Amino acid sequence: MTGTIHSLWTTAADSATPLDKIPTPKIEYAQLSPVLIVFGAAVLGILVEALLPRRSRYIAQLGVSVTGLAAAFAAIVALAADGYASAKSHIAAMGAVAVDGPALFLQGTIVLVALVAAFTFAERRLDPLAHGRRVDSFAAQGSTVPGSEQEKRAVRAGFTTTEVFPLLLFAVGGMMIFPAANDLLTLFVSLEVFSLPLYLLCALARRHRLLSQEAAVKYFLLGAFSSAILLFGVALLYGYAGTISYGGIADVISGTAKMTPALANTTANDSLLLIGGAMVVVGLLFKVAAVPFHMWTPDVYQGAPTPVTGFMAAATKVAAFGALLRLLYVVLPGIRWDWRPVMWGVAIATMVIGAIIAVTQTDVKRLLAYSSIAHAGFILAGVIALSPDGVSSVLFYLAAYSFVTLGAFAVVTLVRDAGGEATHLSRWAGLGRRSPLVAAVFAVFLLAFAGIPLTSGFAGKFAVFKAAAQGGAVPLVIIGVISSAIAAFFYIRVIVLMFFSEPQPGGPSVAVPSALTSTAIAAGVAVTLALGVAPQYFLDLAGKASVFVR
Amino acid sequence: MTLAAGHPGFMSPTGVEIAFVLVGIATLGAALVTVTTKQLVHAALWLVVALGGFAVEYLLLTAEFIAWVQVLIYVGSVVVLLLFGLMLTKAPIGRSPDADSGNGWVALVVAVAAAATLVWVVVDAFRSTWVDLGGAAQGSAKVTGAILFRHWVLPFEALSVLLLAALVGAIVLSKRGAPARRSLLSKSEALPMRGVPSERKARES
Amino acid sequence: MNPINYLYLSALLFTIGGAGVLVRRNAIIVFMCVELMLNACNLAFVTFARLHGNLDGQIIAFFTMVVAAAEVVVGLAIIVTFFRSRHSASVDDASLMKL
Repeated sequence: MTGTIHSLWTTAADSATPLDKIPTPKIEYAQLSPVLIVFGAAVLGILVEALLPRRSRYIAQLGVSVTGLAAAFAAIVALAADGYASAKSHIAAMGAVAVDGPALFLQGTIVLVALVAAFTFAERRLDPLAHGRRVDSFAAQGSTVPGSEQEKRAVRAGFTTTEVFPLLLFAVGGMMIFPAANDLLTLFVSLEVFSLPLYLLCALARRHRLLSQEAAVKYFLLGAFSSAILLFGVALLYGYAGTISYGGIADVISGTAKMTPALANTTANDSLLLIGGAMVVVGLLFKVAAVPFHMWTPDVYQGAPTPVTGFMAAATKVAAFGALLRLLYVVLPGIRWDWRPVMWGVAIATMVIGAIIAVTQTDVKRLLAYSSIAHAGFILAGVIALSPDGVSSVLFYLAAYSFVTLGAFAVVTLVRDAGGEATHLSRWAGLGRRSPLVAAVFAVFLLAFAGIPLTSGFAGKFAVFKAAAQGGAVPLVIIGVISSAIAAFFYIRVIVLMFFSEPQPGGPSVAVPSALTSTAIAAGVAVTLALGVAPQYFLDLAGKASVFVR
Repeated sequence: MTLAAGHPGFMSPTGVEIAFVLVGIATLGAALVTVTTKQLVHAALWLVVALGGFAVEYLLLTAEFIAWVQVLIYVGSVVVLLLFGLMLTKAPIGRSPDADSGNGWVALVVAVAAAATLVWVVVDAFRSTWVDLGGAAQGSAKVTGAILFRHWVLPFEALSVLLLAALVGAIVLSKRGAPARRSLLSKSEALPMRGVPSERKARES
Repeated sequence: MNPINYLYLSALLFTIGGAGVLVRRNAIIVFMCVELMLNACNLAFVTFARLHGNLDGQIIAFFTMVVAAAEVVVGLAIIVTFFRSRHSASVDDASLMKL
């Protein structure tokens, strides 16, 4: 009896034997280097916060972030040039992550997006001087109550929240693991690694702090809810297959796995697999903001500090679509006849509802939020194609869309009045007369959103719809084209509003940005036009990177 | 060890089933009260009961490491944090009439539908089979640790990054008080800005 | 011993937590309900681990607990900051933004 109790409650029963050596796990550091560099830079950023005097932190943080992200991009390019995107692609780190074409392509996109976003995070010329100091878009001190004496003191003392840079890098690192995750546990953990810093960044706006904190609470609660749903899905999939590695589950689904008595029990019936897969997909659809899981998007995009919104809208979408692609193409292709009709419905609802509600918006940031929902629908159309063309078109679309989004939100930070950014659309009337350059740049981005030829939006939409049509989803393509037309109507209306209506007296002014935001916007325009005028090179690149490793 | 192979746990199979039913009912009841009570602090305290119930269920499933981690992390720290949270947001001690939002009926319908689906999933999945477990106890700390550090190293490291990010983020959002003290010390704003010792310590820890 | 009963318990607790998220107003209580859901997931993981006779499920349960602890830290920081500016932790008071 005592022996039984021992074996359950302690390991003392066999403590006489020496402790077994745990064999060292095999970690491919070189192939993981992009992620490791980003996390290393984040830790360095925290050390900067802890050790450097306050006034030299800003420049040090910016240097660490930019250097780290650039080094990570260089590492990704080196890996791709070395053939890890095609011939040498494999599963690394004891099965936790995949190093293959889609993973490297998406990681590269995320890192570039983050690099540009870091510039907008660091912008310090837009707000008027506060007590002789230049200030950025983030609260002087996150904990102070907006409008309180304490906040004024914090501003006067010249406090700034330079911790946003390490938080940004943590989020980037999580996003890089997310599309590469090769088991459901890594998927869940990396989801949280990028979500938690984003929740926090949302709460840190300098202007409109109440809105910003509210956005953070909403984002946090709904994000936690969605990750609980995802986790229950993971549990059911694990119950079905007895393993959580992507390849293992796929083997069980296709029936090639070795049968055990337990497996024979759980796989006797598909319901665990179907509901489990559905719940995991729902968790991911929350993150890509597909209808009907889009409720948080407009509020969070509106409330978060605009540089954070731009980063979130671009990079989260890239990471989450990457994970969704891998899940549907590697784990669940065996039940595609079950999930394809459902995803059809989700894609149609997302395109149509996103486009229609966008028409009724009066706030630029909310307008861009609904437009991002509509774009999620277009990308889903490519995901459903379930072909190499589908993968490459989605990769291309994500790269194109993320830079347009970043650029558009960067322009939003420029149009300001006394209360901060003037985001109400009526305030943008006549902007083209007052500041033709800014209005023209924004018009380029809107045309790209609308999918007008010679912009990246057209090339992306064309690729996605072509892949979908070849995959047999012609009705989906027709609905996609119609909802693009609805959305285009509204984008054109904003352009008309900017160029052909009288400027309001006392309307907003356009701040002159420093080289940082100018670079970000210029990068957005350059990528938009390059991918629009000469898309073939990048389509080929995405095509080469479109094979998942198993 | 030989005895353990014969029994799934420290009780006879019937004992385990009786314990499961009793603890299961207690856990369900506590969870229901947590979700429905109008007294906010009571909700947190009933949550402790529910979480403790989970720990016992883990023990019955012979997952002793998880059971004790559950007690340490959830009962020991998460609930304490939640209670602190309630205290800091000045949650009323008595009944709060507006504790529930107006969409109770909608939520009830959704919940019943979801529960029906999930229960049906389990019924359907195991309709034709009767799983009988009599295997040896599993889940001691030693085995768990060995597997953790052999197969799950990368997620484990990602977890450490997550904890660091959460720590830094929470400090960013809640650290305060420094400027007030400095302006008391000196009116001059031209002083070099150095973190005061307490703030430094908070950041480094 | 039939482990399937544990799965019923887990499914019921998951939906109770989910209903709580939809019904409750106080952000901290909503978050408690999310914790309940995560615990229900853990129970399912441990049960399936027992059923399949491998330890992966227990490992995931352990990871979930740590993730939940990190989530609590971040969540409470956000909610308490929100409360300080608003003097209310009610989710419905969060109404500056409308559709």
